[in-house]
Parts: sequence; structure tokens; C-alpha cells
Amino acid sequence: MRLVLAVILCKVLRFIGGLVGKGSSLPGQFALKVCPGALGRVKLPPHIIAVTGSNGKTSTVEMTAAILKAGGRRVVYNKEGSNQIEGVATLILSNCTLGGKMRGDVLLLESDERYARHTFRWFHPTHFVITNLYRDQLTRNGHPEWVFDAVKAAIFPETTLVLNADDPLSSCFAIGHDPDKVKWFGLDECSISTKEHRGVYHDGARCPVCKGRMEYTCYHFAHIGHYSCPACGHRRHNTDFAATALDLKEGRLTINGETDITLAFKSIYNVYNILAAWSVCALAGVDKEAMAGVINNYMLKNGRMITFRLGKHRGILLTSKHENSVAYDTNLAYIAGTDKPCTVLVIVDAISRKYFTGETSWLWDIDFDQLKSPNVQRVMLYGKYCNDLAVRFKYGQVPADKVEVGESIATAAEYLKENGDEDVYVVTCFSDRDKLLAHAEKD
Amino acid sequence: MELTILHLYPDCMSLYGEYANVAVLRRHLEAMGVSVTVDTTLFEDTPDFAHADFIYMGAGTERTQKAALTALLPHKEALRAAIDRGAVVLFTGNAMELLGASVTDAAGRVWPCLAFADFTTEEHDSREPVDVLACSDLLPGWVVGFMNKCSETHGVDTPLIQHVEQGVGNEGNAAEPEGYVSGNVFATHITGPVLVKNPDFTDFLIRRIFELKGWPAPEALPALPYEREAYEATVRGLAGPRCAGG
Repeated sequence: MRLVLAVILCKVLRFIGGLVGKGSSLPGQFALKVCPGALGRVKLPPHIIAVTGSNGKTSTVEMTAAILKAGGRRVVYNKEGSNQIEGVATLILSNCTLGGKMRGDVLLLESDERYARHTFRWFHPTHFVITNLYRDQLTRNGHPEWVFDAVKAAIFPETTLVLNADDPLSSCFAIGHDPDKVKWFGLDECSISTKEHRGVYHDGARCPVCKGRMEYTCYHFAHIGHYSCPACGHRRHNTDFAATALDLKEGRLTINGETDITLAFKSIYNVYNILAAWSVCALAGVDKEAMAGVINNYMLKNGRMITFRLGKHRGILLTSKHENSVAYDTNLAYIAGTDKPCTVLVIVDAISRKYFTGETSWLWDIDFDQLKSPNVQRVMLYGKYCNDLAVRFKYGQVPADKVEVGESIATAAEYLKENGDEDVYVVTCFSDRDKLLAHAEKD
Repeated sequence: MELTILHLYPDCMSLYGEYANVAVLRRHLEAMGVSVTVDTTLFEDTPDFAHADFIYMGAGTERTQKAALTALLPHKEALRAAIDRGAVVLFTGNAMELLGASVTDAAGRVWPCLAFADFTTEEHDSREPVDVLACSDLLPGWVVGFMNKCSETHGVDTPLIQHVEQGVGNEGNAAEPEGYVSGNVFATHITGPVLVKNPDFTDFLIRRIFELKGWPAPEALPALPYEREAYEATVRGLAGPRCAGG
């Protein structure tokens, strides 16, 4: 009876929430108060796919949903990204019959990496995709090994793990897990690989298992690559799903040596998100033609890249999570890889949209030296933390005469409106991007 | 004027951009005409404490901290000799814990440490990342930064910071003393580029290094662009109307 009440309450609140445009975790929160064990009592679909990791969750879930739908599956997923237990409860209960049976063939969940253990206390995923573990929001997450331990508590023996073979830390989830229930995706050595590590810190320098010195035959970016530890033998696993060729400049990717994909967004991130989505959809039985049809030239709807006009400038905003140096580094690499002369505007004004912090240590983990690339004519550092940014640049290699510093984002926008016509790349976070876009015309 | 900075385990005990502490100290010393050599030590190496004027270690994950301890313990006497000679030492984040008698991890295992002081540390399975605003008798204004600890340290008799206004002190509560100081050894659980964020602390350490070297005390220390402005913006953000001083 309590379950029926919880389902009804959830549906009603969701409906009202939809009318007033309110968040998606409140209905689930109330429903769980009425029936705390609701998630353990509903009958779930045969496939439950969870996606977690530091970066790429939302994009991976979006592409996975699109592929599964094209493959004829009925998919229920949290497209709003409400990824803690209350949001998951809203999703599941509002898609249940009064008899407590969830509709759909697949339940697909983006799951917050620190809270997955609370959600999966009630039911266990059939497939668990872990995209990667990087330094991310250390002000809330502690550090990557701390997050590893939190995710580890959400892993159960019957779940098939879908892991990034190129990430030495998240690969450790396979330790102690039935090897038949671990599937691996990764990138072969290719045009973007280097022999030397790039970036200002190296989280793969030490083996996550024994802290011995790790060896790499190649790096794709940051600590992602082909590694092995001579001391304990922890090494990159052979892949079940591989990017066998990649040309990021041309935007071409080959999967398993046989399927060519054109990339709508030529970023290494996109490649890993595609690989993760491809792997789990293949495991769910979607055939490769259907998968390729969706993924080819796929434009993400959750738009981390926004184009706009500012005066005579063409603007490209690359959303880069503050407190996440890998996100910044990949976007800076994207800019450095372009050919036309450009201005880069970096904005750090509010470090988070959810909480106050004055913590700027993460700026020192970002490889801003990528902006010494000759096509970058000017770097503008703006926002409340412009001085922290300016100090950081004083310790880098971008020539001082290219760097401009100011607090007011409006002033930066007005200046650009009235001067010049070169491309403008804006590198900033969700918390700050509208402060610039308010002055621009959207494309 | 020449000096050597020894950076312990920079490949892994630098969890929050802490390599910048060495970079900022070096830049300031060079601006004063000092020729600086930075010597780095990995777990597999024997640290050259005998020639070090300034010794630095930053924070690591809990597991990496234990590996750093294992690597450093065999060289304890050489480090003690450097400290006795007056070498200036700065340990930040959980590197601070290694100076004490022991660390007890969340599973209950006791790890004997360097035992240069009597304090002991206990780790938990929860952590409290938090902004820090604090006062130290050694420094003129607020000390600012960030703390990301999952431990409590008990038995520090000589803290570096007398009062933590925001953040947590050694024993895990607000309004407590924090860190450790003894002679030229300085330690704080504040993580990240502490010296970038606190120009007064950088200046203070430079004066100590000059004393150690027997060089004439500098009259004025270099103020490099944007550093004071960044510090003041952080203080304004954290202290708000209280920003008159520590």
C-alpha cells in the first residue's frame, strides 16, 4: 500500500513540478519518505545500466539512450541529470504502474560517483559503466582515490563492469571482480598519442595498487594511456571495444577496425564517451549498423559547446567545469589545435553555482601553457578571481604582452563588441557562462 | 648568493597544485638575486638533506601518504640533522602528520612516523573540505587557504596558527589552533599553493632562509604582480566585513 502511495505521490508531484518548472529530485524525496524501501520493491526492467565517473557521464548517457532507442529499446533515463538517490527515485517511481512495475526495456541512470552506493543499496545495475576518475571538484570530492573507494562500495558481484582500460585508477575496479563480468574499452596508440606525459601534474606517475613507479608506452592525454607497473604487474587490460584509429583534426574515428565514425565534436572527450556508449549498447545487443547510424556526426543536446556572436566576433564557448583541470586541458588543447587567429577569454567569477568557495588551487593543475600556440593572439583573464588567474599565468609561458586582466565581465564583453573581428573562445564553467552570454547574440 | 630547495616526492605528494609553493618561493628568491637550485627526490632516491636549505613536502592521498612515509623513514636521521642545522622545512596537507609520532588509518592500523614531535593523528572515513581563514602570531594578516582533511591531530603543543576563524583546527573543530611549528620547521594542514595565496608567509620564510644562510636581512621583499591583489580578493570573499586584519 505504501508503495502505491509513493508512486501516486511521485507522479502527482512530478506533474505539478513540470507545470511550474521545478526540479526533479523533490518528488522522489517525498515518495521515499512515504515508502523508504520503494526502490527495492518495484519491478525493474531486465537491463539496468548505470554510468558514473568524473567526466563524461551526461554525454555518455545521452548517446547511450539515443543508440538504444534506435535499436528498438524502450529507454527510461534521467536526462535532467538528477543523479543522486532522490532524482533516481523520481525517475523510477514516476515511470511505474500502480502495481509497482516500471515500464521500459532499459533503465539507464547517470549516477553521482559519491552517492551511487546509496542508490544501489536497493537494486543492483546489470551493467555499470565507469568512464574515468580524475581530479574533479576536490572541494567536495576529496581526491580521486577517495571517490574510488566510494564507487567501490556500489559494485556488486553480479554486475558487469564496463571500464576504461586506459585509466589506471578506474581499471582497479576489476580487481577481485569475476573477469567474465568485466568488459574493457580503450584507445589504441594513434595519431594523438605521445611518448611523453603532457600536463602539469601526473596522476599516473605512481601505480594506484602498489605506489611503484609506473611505465607508459604511450599517453593519449593526462594519465590516460598504455601503462604498466613493473613492481606489481598492474597494467592496461586488452580491450573488448577499441578505437583502432583516430584523426582528431579530420574528425574521424574507427571502432574495432571496421566501423568509421565522423565526429561532430573533435575532442578526445567525445571519443571516450562514444566508446563507452558503444560498448554498453553492444553488450545490450544493439547491432553495429544501428549504433554507427546514431553515433555518426552525433550532436550532443546537452551542449557543452555554444556558438554566439559578439560584435564582429564569432564566439565559441567551451564549457569547462571549474575545479576540473582535465576538462580545462582538453578545451585548451582544442583551441591550440585550431588554425585561425583568435582571442581566448577565461572567466573565473563564481567557482561553483551550488556553494561558495574561494578555493583556486585547481588553477595550478591546468596546463595553460597550451595557449602559447601562435594562433592565440590574446588571452583575457576576467572575473572575481582574475588576479589568481593572472598570478597563475605569471608562472607559465604565455608572453605577458598577450595577457590582459580585469574583473568586470561586462567590460570585457563591451570591449570585444567594439573591437576586432577574430574568433573568440570563451573558457568557463556553467556557473559563469551566462554572465558573458547575456551580452552576446546566440547563434 | 646560492641556495638549494629540496622538494620531496613532487610526482605524487602534490595533490592540489602544491608544486606552486616551490615555484613561488624560487621566483621570489630569484627576484632578490639569489641563484636557486631545486632538487627533487622520488621514493626510490636517497634525499640529499645535507645540502638542502629549504625542504618541502605537499599532500597526497591517504595511501600515497603511507608510501611517502615508508620511503622517508629510512632517512629520518639525515632529515633530523638538517633540521638541527636550521634548514627551513615546510610540510603542507597530510605531509604535516608525518612529523608526529604516528598516524592511525581508518582501518585502525598504526603507522609510526618521524616522531620529531609527540602529536598523533587519527584518520576517519569521512572528510571535511573547507575554506580556511585563520590567524597566526607569526604573520601580520589573515592566513587563507583550503583544507581537505579526513583526520584529527592531537597533542600539538606549538601550533603555527593560534585561531581558525573558518575551517577546522588540528583536533577537527573550528576556533582551534592549527598546524605545527618548532624552530624552522613549519607545518599546516592547509593544502594547495599556500605560499601563493599568502604572500606574507612567503616573505616570512624568505627572511628565515636569509637568517639561516647568514645573509644580511633584506630591507624590502619583492612584491610580484597580482599576488597581493589575489590575496586581498580571497580575504574579501572569506572575511567579508571582518577583513580589517587577523
